[in-house]
Amino acid sequence: MDILSIGAFLLFLMLLLLGGGVWIAMTLAICGWVGQAFFTSTSPGNNLFSSFWESNSSWELAALPLFIWMGEILFRSKLSEEMFEGLSPWLNRIPGRLMHTTILGCGIFGSVSGSSAATCATISKVALPELLKRGYDEKIILGSLATAGTLGILIPPSITMVVYAVAADASIIRIFLAGFLPGFLLMGLFSGYIMWWSLKHPEKVPPRDPSTSFMEKIKKSEKLIPCSVLILFIVWVLIAGYATATECAAYGVLGSLALALWSRSLTWQSFKDGLMGTMRTSSMIMFILAGAAFLTKTMAFTGIPKELAEWVNQMHLSPYALIAVLTFVYILLGTALDGISMIVLTSTVVLPMIQKAGFDLIWFGIFIVLLVEIAEVTPPVGFNLFVLQNMTGKDSNTIAKAAIPFFICVVVCIVLITVFPQIVTVLPNTLMGKA
Amino acid sequence: MRRFLDRLYLWSGALGATFILLIAILMIAQSLLREFGVRTGAVNDVVSWFCAAASFFAMPHAFKHGDFVRVTLILEKLNPTLRRYVELVCLLVACVSVGYLAFWANKFTYESYLFNERAQGLLPIPIWIPQSSFAIGSVLLWIAIVDEFILVLNGHTPSYVAAVEERHAAGDFSSDV
Repeated sequence: MDILSIGAFLLFLMLLLLGGGVWIAMTLAICGWVGQAFFTSTSPGNNLFSSFWESNSSWELAALPLFIWMGEILFRSKLSEEMFEGLSPWLNRIPGRLMHTTILGCGIFGSVSGSSAATCATISKVALPELLKRGYDEKIILGSLATAGTLGILIPPSITMVVYAVAADASIIRIFLAGFLPGFLLMGLFSGYIMWWSLKHPEKVPPRDPSTSFMEKIKKSEKLIPCSVLILFIVWVLIAGYATATECAAYGVLGSLALALWSRSLTWQSFKDGLMGTMRTSSMIMFILAGAAFLTKTMAFTGIPKELAEWVNQMHLSPYALIAVLTFVYILLGTALDGISMIVLTSTVVLPMIQKAGFDLIWFGIFIVLLVEIAEVTPPVGFNLFVLQNMTGKDSNTIAKAAIPFFICVVVCIVLITVFPQIVTVLPNTLMGKA
Repeated sequence: MRRFLDRLYLWSGALGATFILLIAILMIAQSLLREFGVRTGAVNDVVSWFCAAASFFAMPHAFKHGDFVRVTLILEKLNPTLRRYVELVCLLVACVSVGYLAFWANKFTYESYLFNERAQGLLPIPIWIPQSSFAIGSVLLWIAIVDEFILVLNGHTPSYVAAVEERHAAGDFSSDV
């Protein structure tokens, strides 16, 4: 068999196992084993041990459970209530009014949390009933909550970015820094759409809340202070290069605990629940990373990615065409897979291709995170759809339809960062020097 | 037996969670000590072993709790009888593959012990000590899978399905990235 047919065979096996419902980490490892046992002369058992051990006993990876924990603590705190109260008085005069709380709330929560589903659930918990009560348009609210929730993984810290950085062997801090500007850009696009829609449908925007004096607004926003301090702290630590990503995460945990304590929402029970949840989520992700590490080894032995990169290279696609094809493939994958699996599954094969075509690994990380964001809101499998389906009882297809305009905003953002890659690279390059 | 196994998974998970707590404490301690000029390179090795331990000890509990992701798109479309069969096949595949993993984890760790291999790095302790988290965790995961296989064979709903349904019904999405 030539190398590409082996690749095709392994791909078929993988799709069969995945489709049949075998756990993703195991599927990856099984495909890795089959590849090594039948198509190479190495001993798969030894490699299995070393892949699992080396990938999980990693100091870099230790940032992952800590960032997850930080989100878990804040998810269980009163942060979202405080955020809504603090933000809403300021937004009364902008077209679209309180609808922007969804975007801003998700953006702010996203900068302390690294998970898209948690961001969506946390902000929806408060914003959804409050906005519906005031008579805002349900479709826009659902769409914006579903899509803006994904800002959780674009605005650092981000669990998805940590996983990508580990898979691509890139610097976590660099990719975090790269996420800021695209994050703001995307928030701007979302808010811009809401304003445009509100100006077009003034009859569907309910009247303002009774106006408050400037001092009252300040007073109401007081509750946002602890959260802002935490965000500023994390951003400062990242930008000043004061600490490593893992240390930054550890201080983030400490800060979140302090914040939860301050708002009197930290109990022994919530501390325990948060830590146990963290343990499960991080174990799940690390198990996938271990399975993928083994498959990566198989790929290195068989030389499939190199061959594939050659093959793609020979087609003489322009870089834009390659990106367009990849965007299509990832959107397709994203309909059935979750973000983490999507990244881990494809990185071994796609990254050599991307480097060969002359793309920056950091830039590609942001590109892939944006595609994961899309995956979260595309049916049939989109996590944010599940979250909102669960909270509203609406069918996930209805929510997905409501998310279409925002989905387009994400695509526009992808086009913008492809045409102007500086949006991604300028911040890490100026702060950390060129890679 | 049931109670013993459930406790075993829970305690193993709690042990994993403890390691995460320890990572946080160690990282903060390290950054403080560094400010005072103490050389703390060895802490990095310890943190990486703790990271592995946190992941491996947590596996059985996370599996039982339904946190391990899989594609359920097709499974959910099947009728209950067929779904049970497919579920059994999946568990069987898992049994064999994790059994193989556990075998190698233990074989390798035992060899490290036998040849008295030391960790490369600033803290040259016998490497079998940190590696045993992998050996133990993988065996416990294998036990959890066999346990689940027997449950489903006896006509129960898989715990990992029930746990996720229950969690989402309660509106808890904190464990989903």
